[in-house]
Amino acid sequence: MTALPLQLLPEGLEVSFKLLPAILVSAMLLLFLVIGYLFKVADAEGMWVAGRSIGNVENGMAIGANWMSAASYLGMAGIMVLSGFYGLAFIVGWSTGYFILLIFMAAQMRRFGKYTAPDFVGDRFNSDGARAIGAVTTFLIGFVYAIGQARGMGLVGLYIFGDIGLPGLSGYQSMVVFMMAITVGYLTLSGMLGATKNMAVQYVILIVAFLAGLYAVGLSQGYSTVLPQIEYGALFSQLSSEFSDPFTNESYYLWIATAFSLVVGTCGLPHVLVRFYTVESERTARWSTVWGLFFICLLYLSAPAFAAFGVDLYGGVGMGPAEADTIVVLAAQLAQLPTWFVGFVAAGGIAAAIATTAGLFIAGSSAISHDIYANIINEDATQRQQVFVGRAAIVALGVITTLAALDPAAPIAALVSYAFSLAGAVLFPMFFLGLWWENTNRQGALAGMTTGLVIWTVPMINEVLPTYVGSIDGTISPTLAQWVPAIGSALIAVPVVFAVTIAVSMATEEPPEDIKRLVRQCHSPEPMQQMDSAEDIVEGDAPADD
Amino acid sequence: MADNDRHDHHDEATGPDDTRVEPDGGTVTGAAQSHRETDYLDREVNLLKPSTPFMRDHLRVVWTGFAIWAVVVFGPVTATALAPDVMTQTIPGIGFPLHYFLVSIGAPGGALALSFWYARRRDKLDEKYGVEHGSVTPDADEGTPAADGGVEE
Repeated sequence: MTALPLQLLPEGLEVSFKLLPAILVSAMLLLFLVIGYLFKVADAEGMWVAGRSIGNVENGMAIGANWMSAASYLGMAGIMVLSGFYGLAFIVGWSTGYFILLIFMAAQMRRFGKYTAPDFVGDRFNSDGARAIGAVTTFLIGFVYAIGQARGMGLVGLYIFGDIGLPGLSGYQSMVVFMMAITVGYLTLSGMLGATKNMAVQYVILIVAFLAGLYAVGLSQGYSTVLPQIEYGALFSQLSSEFSDPFTNESYYLWIATAFSLVVGTCGLPHVLVRFYTVESERTARWSTVWGLFFICLLYLSAPAFAAFGVDLYGGVGMGPAEADTIVVLAAQLAQLPTWFVGFVAAGGIAAAIATTAGLFIAGSSAISHDIYANIINEDATQRQQVFVGRAAIVALGVITTLAALDPAAPIAALVSYAFSLAGAVLFPMFFLGLWWENTNRQGALAGMTTGLVIWTVPMINEVLPTYVGSIDGTISPTLAQWVPAIGSALIAVPVVFAVTIAVSMATEEPPEDIKRLVRQCHSPEPMQQMDSAEDIVEGDAPADD
Repeated sequence: MADNDRHDHHDEATGPDDTRVEPDGGTVTGAAQSHRETDYLDREVNLLKPSTPFMRDHLRVVWTGFAIWAVVVFGPVTATALAPDVMTQTIPGIGFPLHYFLVSIGAPGGALALSFWYARRRDKLDEKYGVEHGSVTPDADEGTPAADGGVEE
């Protein structure tokens, strides 16, 4: 393990302890804790009432902060530096998917009223088996997604804190261990505290740091003035053709597969759906999606500009993955901006990574403690036992994520997209069919989810596993990798899972009438009380709890 | 009798935009009338077979948006694969190659504009069917809702 591939150490990035940026990062984490604490105090009167009163703009910001992780902040510009036009598939997939979410799912999810993915599949299909698969998938998504975040934190942490030199580990590896320890510690402190208020603040820090960095680089280097998102177009004649030529790096098929997987993944990610539960009405659920997409576009339209500036400043191509993944910080440094300012840009990346990792770990641990442990294994579980299992799950997630991130298989954006393929293959068809076709039944859902898991796992073993296992060299089956790529396996998985789910549902008994009424309630235009879930309406009463 | 017959006939022929006078003096559109008469819990949900006037209207908006979305998102890339020479021409003035501009700015921007369009159209549907949001208040008799609500997080 000690002989880390050289390309993982960012060349040209000044690795040393920097006091001001270190203070900035610490102050930021402290701020999040304080806001969480204050919000908790205000919240003690009625968690749900407060929770469901979040408005359009605020929830839009929360969607943005929740969404934008190290993959958006660092990885997106990075993948464009490495892969040129193919990198745009990530921008397209990660932004336009929100429209599908909006027209097909946001309001219906709000009306359904259950907010964890396992809860939805468990209740909709009335099956503990489906609940368990949903929970395992949620946990896996948290794990795979967080590897990319850990890599981002490690690389940027290296810039801010320098090589802390844990014995037996390289500078990057030491920093991954250090940052993940901070994240897990931070979570145990903040896990119970209110999230939405914090997310709005995190979004503001994130976008200000990113845009400030972009404008400063553009102005100081004479690339741009008021609208770098458009003005970088002038650079294209100077950049190498690899930056813009279509399909030189990757094929058209892979482009479409990637973008499609990211779109359906967006609609299946558990920590995204949570955001629709916190709003006051389904109308707010719709409009906050529009706002959320607007806030996301602010960063996504800027990332290619950052990539173009970075490539030009770096002086052509030939960057390794580590340089690419830190291009946002690297560009600010190459533009000779003051160290504290570069540190500020880097701090934004760490904020993005920690906030998203926290959300993922909480979703993953609640899947284990609430959906698997309390609902299936031990139905009489006490609060204490549930909390204990939840904590243990967070620590376990932290440990395996750290291990996997020590020697990651791919750049940040690619790592994260594996999680999107998984969400798209397993959860998206269940949400979509579950909401839009009342005859989808338990057997169909079980068959479909299993199929989705298999179609996701096979290319992961084929392509990604070999990078972790020394004895296998390269991809096992290049043909399989060409048609069912790990990064875009949902393109094949989604139609197959749809077909399997529909066929099995038609071949078996229709779901019971009360389940059908549940689905119909999700689509009724009749307004619902703020506190109601579809289940309450269908049962004719609104019980305080089930 | 003849008058009545003609009146009935007239009724059947009118579209959903017809307005009629309510007993309380207010007017309500035909759409709102049908909305009130629909028990949504008895109507099938099937994406391909809308069973209520509301869902038919809603799905028309949804499918229109979806079709435009598919073209905006996958159209430029596909066009680039089919006709690379045409699509990679530089746009005068701003310097972008056409395909790069359409994909990096056109697709996300298009999705944002479509989202705005959809949310507006959906609000109009609510208006047409006389559905009001935002004025809902929690039931007075509901008591303290789910005091233990936080644990699931």
